[in-house]
Amino acid sequence: MFSLPRKLLSPVIAIVVTLLLSGPVSGESLISEEWETFLKEKVSFGGFLENTSGLSVSHGSRFFNTSNRFIMNRFTVQPEVNVDMTDWAKFFISWRFVKEPRYNAEAKSRERSVTYFPAAPVKPLSNRFYDEDSFKPWEAVLDLRPDDQLKLRFGRQFISWGETDGIRLLDLINPQDLTFSPPAAPNLFNLDETRIPSWGLRAHYTVRPVSNTILEFFALPGSLDEAEQRVDEIVGSNDTGDRKVRYGRWSAHPETRLFVGGTNRFGNLFSDPLRVRLGLGSCVGAGCIVIPSTVRELPDAGDSWKLGARFSHSIGKLNFGLGYIWGYNPQASDMVFKVRSLSCASPVLAACTIAGAAPTVAKLALLNDRTSIFAGQFNYPVGDAFNVPINTTVRGEMAFLPDKPYNISKFPGNFGLKASAHPKYPNGVVEKNTLRYAVGFDRTTLIPFLHPDDPWRAFNLSFQVFQSIIFDHEDGIHPFSTAERIKRFSTTLTFRMGTGYFGDTILPDVFLAYDPEGYWSANPAISYVPPGNEKLRFSLVGTLYGGRNKFKSFGLFDEKDSIFLKMRYQF
Amino acid sequence: MPSATIKYFLSPRWRAHFLVLAWCLLAAAQVTAADADLKAGDTIGPNNWQRIQGMVGENFLSRVKAGHTIQIKPSKVYRPLKEYADATEKYSGKVRLGANGELQGYVAGQPFPKLDLGDAQIGQKLAWNFFWRWLGDDYKTGGAVKGGKIIRSAIEKNGAERRADLVSYFLFPRTRYNLDPKPAIPGYEHIDYMQLRVDSYPRDAAGTTTLEIRYADPNRADDLYIYIPSIRRIRRASTTQRCQTLAPSEFNLDDINSFNGKITDFNYKFLGEKKMLANLSQEHLPFNRKQGDYLPLDEKWEVVDTYVLEVTPKNPDYCYPRKLLHLNKMTFDTHWTLMWDKRGDYWKEQFGMFTPVKLADGREVWSVADVVIVNVQNGRSTIVTATRAYNKGYPATMFSLATLESIMRGGSIE
Repeated sequence: MFSLPRKLLSPVIAIVVTLLLSGPVSGESLISEEWETFLKEKVSFGGFLENTSGLSVSHGSRFFNTSNRFIMNRFTVQPEVNVDMTDWAKFFISWRFVKEPRYNAEAKSRERSVTYFPAAPVKPLSNRFYDEDSFKPWEAVLDLRPDDQLKLRFGRQFISWGETDGIRLLDLINPQDLTFSPPAAPNLFNLDETRIPSWGLRAHYTVRPVSNTILEFFALPGSLDEAEQRVDEIVGSNDTGDRKVRYGRWSAHPETRLFVGGTNRFGNLFSDPLRVRLGLGSCVGAGCIVIPSTVRELPDAGDSWKLGARFSHSIGKLNFGLGYIWGYNPQASDMVFKVRSLSCASPVLAACTIAGAAPTVAKLALLNDRTSIFAGQFNYPVGDAFNVPINTTVRGEMAFLPDKPYNISKFPGNFGLKASAHPKYPNGVVEKNTLRYAVGFDRTTLIPFLHPDDPWRAFNLSFQVFQSIIFDHEDGIHPFSTAERIKRFSTTLTFRMGTGYFGDTILPDVFLAYDPEGYWSANPAISYVPPGNEKLRFSLVGTLYGGRNKFKSFGLFDEKDSIFLKMRYQF
Repeated sequence: MPSATIKYFLSPRWRAHFLVLAWCLLAAAQVTAADADLKAGDTIGPNNWQRIQGMVGENFLSRVKAGHTIQIKPSKVYRPLKEYADATEKYSGKVRLGANGELQGYVAGQPFPKLDLGDAQIGQKLAWNFFWRWLGDDYKTGGAVKGGKIIRSAIEKNGAERRADLVSYFLFPRTRYNLDPKPAIPGYEHIDYMQLRVDSYPRDAAGTTTLEIRYADPNRADDLYIYIPSIRRIRRASTTQRCQTLAPSEFNLDDINSFNGKITDFNYKFLGEKKMLANLSQEHLPFNRKQGDYLPLDEKWEVVDTYVLEVTPKNPDYCYPRKLLHLNKMTFDTHWTLMWDKRGDYWKEQFGMFTPVKLADGREVWSVADVVIVNVQNGRSTIVTATRAYNKGYPATMFSLATLESIMRGGSIE
């Protein structure tokens, strides 16, 4: 008997239910009049159906590129239901179903580039790696308003703080799924499409509405989320100790593959040979340059409580907020791992300690699963300054992370390596106060010569400066996965410009990012909305990256340049 | 002829004065072109379009010349609410105009009920009467439309249409006539109005919400906050660029409610009284029309008495160097709004129809119903069906950033 595969069944049922629910009521109704009235007046349906196809246009080293010319063919269905139960209670629920077909080329590429000890067939990336086919609600929130001043929201939800666009700074309450979406590309998948909702409570208490004096509190018990480990893992590492390949199309390949000419020229950050740890004397021979496999103890995203509170207020034209976040911070670039233990991949210890025939296995644990962040943000519209019309909104946000942990190594490393264990910090971890801030400038500008069809259709311009400052900086601080030093000051500049032509049927938009250390990204897009159908939208999007170093900043994606066609139908 | 006089006639000053004089003459001619002999039951079409020349916009007239016919019906008259009239009587005696045209001593009601049409400041006074016309203590635009939402159709020159649904909530915190506290919500005396606008269709726009605050201080620009669902954040926007097209519609920020500019940013000139065609009791909501065309098909029109007010900007870079409002003498709502561009070419034409709506106590008041704006230069037009539900008792807390932070796609905020 024919039967649908179980995994296919859920999306199919969801689509059918959605179509049934969104269809017009006609003929003799199957439900009672009261229910029909309720559904008509209190319930609204919406959502979208989307296909995103991507083509890789770069052709670099197979260790870095996307391994597959046909990089993405992502089908998404997202039904959404609003229920306005009463004046003081509302309910919203949505589901997200995603299906991507099998990418043989990508799987094969992984097989070629990932090695195990002892030698074994490499497990390819799961064919369902990008799929989402659970009936678990994507968002499900119950909004309650016990009185005019208090708003409560329970359920699986998004909480976004901050003022920035394209790049997150304070917007790190929800984890972000970067396995399917490239970074710094808001024109391809905006932040709302890549955040992962979390179960919890959010409360707003409006103390004084006229001055927007608001107290906000949220509590997310991460244990309810059960998010997969893939969250935020865009940066690969030699995390192959458990023989699973869990890095998607945007991940850099593990540095184990950069074993060149008998030595690891690039990384080997945890190449503290077991022999030394075991007190077997100084390292000699090939055993000193083995590349450890690593096993990371990564908690599920949000697998801990996260709490936060914020106070917002307006004084004159200035609106600002001050807040505090405590809990797991799932940003990929903030993850710091500590060496918990070392062992040998081979049951014969000598293979690691003497001969170098087998790699050391370093068991690493996430260190910063509890983070304190002092948050601040403001916005202020500037009209004229010294009689010069500025007409720009200035906005900013700030995050102060006290004693933020970083991985640290000795540069250059022993044995001709780029980096190796730091003698002062044998666990490879150091704590530093860190300040991150962003300042943005937004304005709408008329550029009549670029808009002959409608000189009064404005261009939306946005310029942002992001900077991170590590106080009491020490040389050797680096991200967990690469041997690239983080300087005291890290800066990124972004610029965005968008407008609409011919009655907003043609909508160009470009997002540019630049790292003064020599990296850049460009995310141009042009969308077409048919003048006779507001439900359809077609977008051609590019994601381009460049940089002098493939292990840092936007250079990580240097050979992953791609173009995409997005087709969306809203219902 | 004295040489000074000859020099004057040769100078650029003379040319400027001549142009102003010619403009005034033309405007006066336009004002007096109305045909007051129209009677209920008359039909106007391509054979007798001259009878309504000057009583409708030029573009609308051209459609009548080209074959569109309209019928005339008896005029409907709305009277101000008693509470509004009482407030006018109570407070208007203390209202004055400041040196820059700002309103001083205003509390509530119509600022200038006794108009002397020969007054040098009559234009400015009409503008303030328009701004402070009765609009309820609060209202929901779209609240009296079936479905409870504004329906907006953007029509291309070739007839292609795109629809959008939205709602808009207004609160007038310092001019309250029916709802407590009266006449102002404590702490809000410095705010003329607050508007909350929520898009609900199509889906990608759904949840986009703007909070706009108009301050009484003539020197303080509006505040505008926008909640953007694609990033789920509130962004602050500059409100000084008020001319930008709110695409895909043909409206800009100052075209909302015919004229939404800050009163003190403009100069006003009273051009005279005039009879215009309007529709104060729209038969169908939205009116019947052909797909792809803005013309109302089976609506009847009536003759109304209006004041013609010319609005010119103090800022020379403003998009409309000239805008004409035709204000209903009784309600001070606008029926026709005509706009010209910087070259002096006719640019946009806007007309609004009205319909009776009921307050909670059963009393009949009026509301704008369908509004049409036509860009005669690019052929695009926009229709909004925007009937209001008044005095809903919206709390001031609804008009705060906490509301924007809790918006859901397609969800209600009431």
